[in-house]
Amino acid sequence: MVGPLNDGLPSLVTAAHELKSPLALMRQLALMLEDGGLSDDEQKRMLRQISLTSERALRLTNDLTRSIRLSEALFTLEPINPQQLCEDIIHELEPLFAAHGRNVRVASRKHPLLLVANRDLLRRIIMNFSDNALNYTDINTTIEIKVGSINSGKTIRLGVRDYGPAMPINALKLLRGKLAYAPTTIHARPNSSGLGLYIAGQFADAMNGKIGVIRHRDGATFYVDLQASWQLSLL
Amino acid sequence: MKKTPILIVDDDEWLAEQYKRSLNSQGYDVTIASHAIAAIQLVDDIHPSAIILDVLLTGSTAFALLHELQSYSDTGDIPVIICTNLAGDLSIEDLKPYGVRRILDKTKMLPSDLLVALRSVLL
Repeated sequence: MVGPLNDGLPSLVTAAHELKSPLALMRQLALMLEDGGLSDDEQKRMLRQISLTSERALRLTNDLTRSIRLSEALFTLEPINPQQLCEDIIHELEPLFAAHGRNVRVASRKHPLLLVANRDLLRRIIMNFSDNALNYTDINTTIEIKVGSINSGKTIRLGVRDYGPAMPINALKLLRGKLAYAPTTIHARPNSSGLGLYIAGQFADAMNGKIGVIRHRDGATFYVDLQASWQLSLL
Repeated sequence: MKKTPILIVDDDEWLAEQYKRSLNSQGYDVTIASHAIAAIQLVDDIHPSAIILDVLLTGSTAFALLHELQSYSDTGDIPVIICTNLAGDLSIEDLKPYGVRRILDKTKMLPSDLLVALRSVLL
C-alpha cells in the first residue's frame, strides 16, 4: 500500500501527476513508432528517447519510495568528496543531457573539500536538481555543478546552476515556498508539482542539511548545504 | 503556395518535435516555442494560423499566453488547441472565451488526433 508522504498532503495526486508526463511521452512515441513511416535513424532516436524517459520516471519512483521509507531506514553518514560524487553523477547523466542537446559539467576546484552525508541520498538530491535544470535550461547550454564552502568553511554547498528564461519574481516566491513546505496542489504551480524538490528537501533534512534556491537573471542555482567534514584538517 | 504557419508551444521538446514532424508531413509550416515568453514573440513574427498549446510550461503557464493573445484584436482570433496531461481538469466552455477551440488529452490521444483537431479549427 502506498501511504501519504505526510499527513494532509496530496501525495498520491502529486506523484501521479508527476509520472503522467513521462508516461504520456513514452506512449506517444510508441504509438508513432507503431504508425511507421520513419527512417531507421529516427526510429533509433525515438527508442532511445523512450528508454531515457523511462529511466527518469523510474528515478522518481525510486526517490518516492526512498522518501516514504526515510524514517524507517537506518543510513550512515560518512565523509564524502563531493567533487568526485558530482563527477560520477555527470557520467551517469551525460547520455540524457546529450539526447536533449544540453551539457553538464562540474566546476573544477583547486582544493578538495569533504562533507558529511549519506552517499545515496546526496546523489539523489544532485540527480534531482540536475533533472530539474534539464527542464529549465535552454538548448545548447551547459548546466554547471559547483562545490564550495560557506560559513567559514563549516558548511559545504553543492549547487546546480541552470541557464534558462529568467524566473519572474512571483514564480520565485512560489518556488521558495515549495522549498520550505510540502508540494502545493497541481493548480498552483507554474510547471511542476515541486515533488522532486520536496523529496530533495526531505533527503537533505535527514542529513541535517537544507536545500535552497538562488535566483539569477538568466536562470537559477538550486543548492544543498551540508556539514563540512573535519577529516581533512586532521591530516 | 505558402504553407499554413502553426505554432506549437510545449516544453517537452521530444513530443513537440514529433508533432512538428507529423504536421510538416501534411504540409504545415511548424514552429516550436518551449515557453510562453518565446511564444508571444513568435506570434508576432510568424502570425500562426493556429496554436497548439500545452498548459504546464516552464515559467509562465499557458494561461498567461492566452490572456496575452486576447489582449490584441489581431491575435485574439487565432484558434488554440490545448494539448495537455491536465485535460480532465479543464472545460472547453470555460476556455472558449480565450480562443480555445479543442482540448486534447495527451494521455489518451492518438498521434492522428492532433491533425484532425487542427484541420477542424482551420475550416
